[in-house]
Amino acid sequence: MGWPEQPKVVGSRVPRVDGLGKASGRIKYPSDVRPEGMLFGAVLYSPHAHAVVKSIDTSAAEKLPGVVAVHLLTEPGKKVRFHGDDIAAVAAESEEIARDALAAIKVEYEVLPHAVTEAQAMAEDAPRVAGGPNYRPPRARTTGDPDAAFQQADAVVEATYSAPVITHVCLETHGLTAQFKDGKITVWASTQNVDGLPQQLAQTFNLPEADVRCYTEVMGGGFGSKFGPDSWGVAACELSRKAGGRPVKIFLDRAQEHLAAGNRPSVIGTIKIAGTKDGKITAMSADVYGTGGVAGGATVLIPYPDVYKGIPNIRVATGEVATHGGGARAMRAPRHPQSCILTESAIDDLAEALGIDPLELRLKNFAENDIVAGGVDRVPIYRDQVAIGAEAIGWKANYRPRSENRKAPGPIKRGIGMALHMWGGGGAPGKQVAVEINPDGSVTLKSATQDIGTGARTLFAIVGAEVFGLKPDQITALIGDSDYPPGQASGGSTTTPSMMPAALVAAQAARDEFFARIAPAYGGDPKAMRLADGQLFVHDEPIASWTDACRKLGMKGVAVTSSAGPQMGELSSNGVAGCQFATVAVDVETGIVKLEKIVAVQDSGLIVNRSTWDSQVYGGVIGGLNYALFEERVMDATTGRMLNPDMEMYKLAGPSDIPEIVIHAYDTPAMRARGVIGVGEPPTVSTAAAIGNAVSNAIGVRVPHFPMSPMNVLNALASIKGEA
Amino acid sequence: MPDQAPRSQGGPAVSQGTGRGPTASRRDFLRGSGIAAATAVVTGQAAAVLDEVQAAQEAEVAVLKGEVAVVLDVNGRKLECRVEPRTTLLDALRNRLDVTGPKRVCDRGSCGACTVILDGKPVNSCTTLAVTAQGCAIETVENFSTGPDGVPAAFVKNDALMCGYCTPGFVTAVKALLDVNPNPTLDEVKKALDGNICRCGTYVGIFQAALDAAKAKKGA
Repeated sequence: MGWPEQPKVVGSRVPRVDGLGKASGRIKYPSDVRPEGMLFGAVLYSPHAHAVVKSIDTSAAEKLPGVVAVHLLTEPGKKVRFHGDDIAAVAAESEEIARDALAAIKVEYEVLPHAVTEAQAMAEDAPRVAGGPNYRPPRARTTGDPDAAFQQADAVVEATYSAPVITHVCLETHGLTAQFKDGKITVWASTQNVDGLPQQLAQTFNLPEADVRCYTEVMGGGFGSKFGPDSWGVAACELSRKAGGRPVKIFLDRAQEHLAAGNRPSVIGTIKIAGTKDGKITAMSADVYGTGGVAGGATVLIPYPDVYKGIPNIRVATGEVATHGGGARAMRAPRHPQSCILTESAIDDLAEALGIDPLELRLKNFAENDIVAGGVDRVPIYRDQVAIGAEAIGWKANYRPRSENRKAPGPIKRGIGMALHMWGGGGAPGKQVAVEINPDGSVTLKSATQDIGTGARTLFAIVGAEVFGLKPDQITALIGDSDYPPGQASGGSTTTPSMMPAALVAAQAARDEFFARIAPAYGGDPKAMRLADGQLFVHDEPIASWTDACRKLGMKGVAVTSSAGPQMGELSSNGVAGCQFATVAVDVETGIVKLEKIVAVQDSGLIVNRSTWDSQVYGGVIGGLNYALFEERVMDATTGRMLNPDMEMYKLAGPSDIPEIVIHAYDTPAMRARGVIGVGEPPTVSTAAAIGNAVSNAIGVRVPHFPMSPMNVLNALASIKGEA
Repeated sequence: MPDQAPRSQGGPAVSQGTGRGPTASRRDFLRGSGIAAATAVVTGQAAAVLDEVQAAQEAEVAVLKGEVAVVLDVNGRKLECRVEPRTTLLDALRNRLDVTGPKRVCDRGSCGACTVILDGKPVNSCTTLAVTAQGCAIETVENFSTGPDGVPAAFVKNDALMCGYCTPGFVTAVKALLDVNPNPTLDEVKKALDGNICRCGTYVGIFQAALDAAKAKKGA
């Protein structure tokens, strides 16, 4: 059993089955639903980075006409540990009244000294974020003898590179609408975990799992930050209970979304790298830290990606610093973009020092092999991909060493850069899909997974259409309801590789049962039957339309629930490569970087829907260029507050910032044979590193700090001796 | 970052003065509606507002408190609801009238997700007060044709959406552009959409959708 060798629907471009619902504004997001009697909730959060809550007085708030319930999220004596930490939540008849109620809550704080930046937190006598020290020097992991190798090298480059904390900026903020009535909870949640979220609520409220139900018809972005109900979701349940079972809606405001709903940790890494004149990287050492605020997750992978693991002498120490900032959460390829920036910047800087084309230097330092699932070696894949990308960006024609680009006449300098990445993207076993074939010819596939924006619903329709010889719009895909069979959470690019094998196996099992049931009407041999083009074929002769064949089921349809089980390994795989290239124009008088072109080459096994696959790769690249040029959470060392918890000073690319983007699907027969692999994360990994390398190539000096903002570019230019 | 496309931040009463909405209550609005809303107005039309404030201070005015009944002309239907003076058009639509196509994302006029067409012009409904939208024709994404020649269909055809939360704002901005410029260039499309932000990164599809929608409209 496997994916069809010559698929009719899988791999083609299929419009989203729910596209018109979204584009017409008619589909209801969790933040749009308004169950009967709904109250509006709001959350009060700490204005201080570090304080003891001395007292909370909600009496004035409770007396406000229209306020129905108040719930404390902390209590006197407890600490708040970041600007945005929870204090209390209210439910009221209108959102305006709910906000008034927050303003009427009197909280007395004993403000404590804070440490919101990495430097503050690592200083001697820094206020502690948690029980232990904010920073424990990590133990270094050493291979070979880096110190000796540094001494013997022809060139050694040492530099400190950094990227700031950025936030997810989900356009639909975190939140849910909850109804807690008669001992049962119903939530309409903006979540990437329809199957798991009810379990978490059930545990919190000590309810049987069956008594908590989650609906997520669609949701407005998660990027790794929406796996649980969160404190405010629990508060919505509590408020609903206090309000006698009236539903309560709590969605964060934009500021709290930035402050409390997750972020990508910063990275600050000192990298020393050495090589020989003939282009062999002989040693690399890395001393790295970053902050995930009050949570962890800031460590990195060095060297990155694994294709450089052949570097013989390596020392890596990667640690974390706790700060008084909102906790990090998984964000689109957690750890990889930071890791990529560190290694790929250092490799470019070494290439410059050695006088070698950085593309050539990379090719010369690939490991002997880089084996991933199914015994697939990524080394030849990288070689192919780099050749494709280099051709598409015009590397040969456009690459010049930094020294040359810098001397180009006029203030606009042009440069080119590249970087490599990797990702897993394999599926989880055990996920189930229920398939129903009804006597009227309708077909449904259903599972408790969700569409985080990747087009999951359409993928189910594609697999159903493939198996039943129908068109995708003839298949009804039901997701976004926790009462459906257990489906996959959307994390680690695992949704498609988990769900599509299960969908295929379940649909094929349903088809086989269908054949067995209708066989008496069509010659008696189920093995002679096949489905294509909306028809039933027996011995390759079209014998009945799909709908006529379905009528032979009589009163009772076919219903099969199945998971991929042992076939999983043949139907999906894990471990992808990828590379990206960028050309930029930098104005050395203003420091403004203009992207000219980005090329992304990506493999991801068998592509199910080329149309939504393209969108994910474009989206990954655009996420990456945001990281490269615009995004930065700015913390004020003095007040301990985030200075830009909004969408004008927290910068994101708009339409005019988007360059020409060329994407290339590395979609070979060998890749297709691997089965389905997720693509949500890999294409966002290397964009920033490639752009950073292009900027440095253009202006002749490394811009060590992301984002490549005018300030950081001008600072780097000013560091060139005698040219400041 | 590019300059934002010229999109109204304050609703029609600010720019058009008397004759619409309860302009006499402006002083009370400025007093009672909080700094955020007042700032949004001052940013947009500082001079006009200051003039009006001065005029209001000189005249004896009716004071608006609590909720008032308003009638909003939404997609050709007269819808009645009760709003506070500070209630934005967006919140009136979403929280009171169940018109949830326009989305609340930044809530301060910097992302375009809440865009509606007010008397033929795209405005950020999150920085337009509901009371000032009385008497105006308000068109939201729900009113657009979902047929093959419509803007929404062009978005679907080009997969110009992923999570879809910014999509109604983009679709509305494209519709408003095509209403005044049926034959836009790519640069004009980008310029017209610069007040909108997409986080999933669907811009490439959106540009093509806008161009395709223009073509389809001409053919229709």
